[in-house]
Amino acid sequence: MSQSFDKTLDARGLNCPMPLVNARKEIGKLEPGKVLKVMATDRGSVSDFQGWANIAKNVELVAQETESVDGATVYVHYVKRTT
Amino acid sequence: MAERLNDEVWTAEELLERLERRDKFFVLDVRNRDEFGRFRIEGREPLPAVNVPYFEMLELGGKDEMVDSVVAYIEQHLANQLPHALPILSACAKGDTSEYVSQGLRRLGYASANLKGGMKAWGLHYATRAVVETPTLAVYQVSRPARGCLSYVVASVGKAVVIDPLRHLYPYLDLARSKGLTIERVIDTHGHADHISGGPALATQTGSSYHLHPYDAIHPIDVLPATLAYEPIRDGQIFSVGQHQLEALHIPGHTLGLVALRLDDRYLFTGDSIFVRSIARPDLGGKAETRAPLHGRSLRKLLELPGRMVVLPGHFSSLAEADDKGIFAASLDDLKQRNDGLLVLQRESEDGFVRYLCESLPRFIPEYVDIKRINAGLLAAGEDEASALELGKNVCALSQAYKDSSGETT
Repeated sequence: MSQSFDKTLDARGLNCPMPLVNARKEIGKLEPGKVLKVMATDRGSVSDFQGWANIAKNVELVAQETESVDGATVYVHYVKRTT
Repeated sequence: MAERLNDEVWTAEELLERLERRDKFFVLDVRNRDEFGRFRIEGREPLPAVNVPYFEMLELGGKDEMVDSVVAYIEQHLANQLPHALPILSACAKGDTSEYVSQGLRRLGYASANLKGGMKAWGLHYATRAVVETPTLAVYQVSRPARGCLSYVVASVGKAVVIDPLRHLYPYLDLARSKGLTIERVIDTHGHADHISGGPALATQTGSSYHLHPYDAIHPIDVLPATLAYEPIRDGQIFSVGQHQLEALHIPGHTLGLVALRLDDRYLFTGDSIFVRSIARPDLGGKAETRAPLHGRSLRKLLELPGRMVVLPGHFSSLAEADDKGIFAASLDDLKQRNDGLLVLQRESEDGFVRYLCESLPRFIPEYVDIKRINAGLLAAGEDEASALELGKNVCALSQAYKDSSGETT
């Protein structure tokens, strides 16, 4: 199962809050309907992206998954700009 | 400079000092609400606190950069809740995001400090205090203040016994190295439910023996035998420590295999039976009604010991229970006068006391079933998993112990 996306943000190695801060900036640059794939190594990003998507009016958290890349756990968040 | 502490960054150790000194400060916790609900900073007295997840500050503050969003959010939504007269400690999970929050607060003219390493560092902080320290006898209380867990090192003429070691071994290894002690034995007073025992690992690492009562080598809910190596403790067994002796007293109740350890007529390591403010709950093995009468009889047995004996418990529920030196201890005579549970025990019949116990049970913590499995060698856990299972304060005492210990929240 692979989720489609339009742009990738590599936030691997960044500590909280930078994955979310950077994702928010990138989402602002996308057209409504487009999906941003965010790759993060910060484990806390999983619940933080959920919490953020709940309160942000213009985003929807389409999917979250965990990947193993070069032996490191990567938390992947697919965020869609809705309006 | 006379100022000893950095005003803008507090380590976990400095936080503990300030809590013990009853310094006044305010906590702005920017973790998720469920994390705050499970585990927060608590002092000797309730701390004023507010919880706003950082992603709400970021989104509702509406700026691109974190500090700018923090400033905007506080100005619009939080200014009337934050004091200008008190330092504001900013806390998050690991101490990175809270630094941005702290910067935002300072930009607005608040006195703010960041909790270095966040709640993770606070949860993992250990403190070691000497209860007594002479060449022939020393007793050290090793605590994990955020969790309310207590453990002990008893030493005499270079030999040491460790009682109820907590999950990380370095506090015991460091103490043994700095005081020139050889750890000869490791004793768990019981199979712990609230934290992962460091006992088996410490015994392996120091080449010492690990002791546990055999009744607690059976997981009470799975009813499966432990798979780890241990030497069975029997009632009345004597363990020598240099020139002194520890005597095991089987006091079933909190668990079936709970033992207290008596050091001469001076100290009584009570494990999870008598704490300073309260007493242990009887239901973590899943059978409150059958364990409660046993618990009552065991506690009555302890009250027959010499009243001058100093109780050194396995837990505390509030920093307020510590004495001026930050040590959690009190004489049996003193506790007979002021311990919630012992007051009821002395007043009530056996049936009345059982009723009191069964009406005073805090919620059952689901994680405790897995923690007991780990402590019996039936389950393994890595560092992250272990930290998650141990998150927050222990809930091993009766419910009265947890009233009015947490701060005001919104």
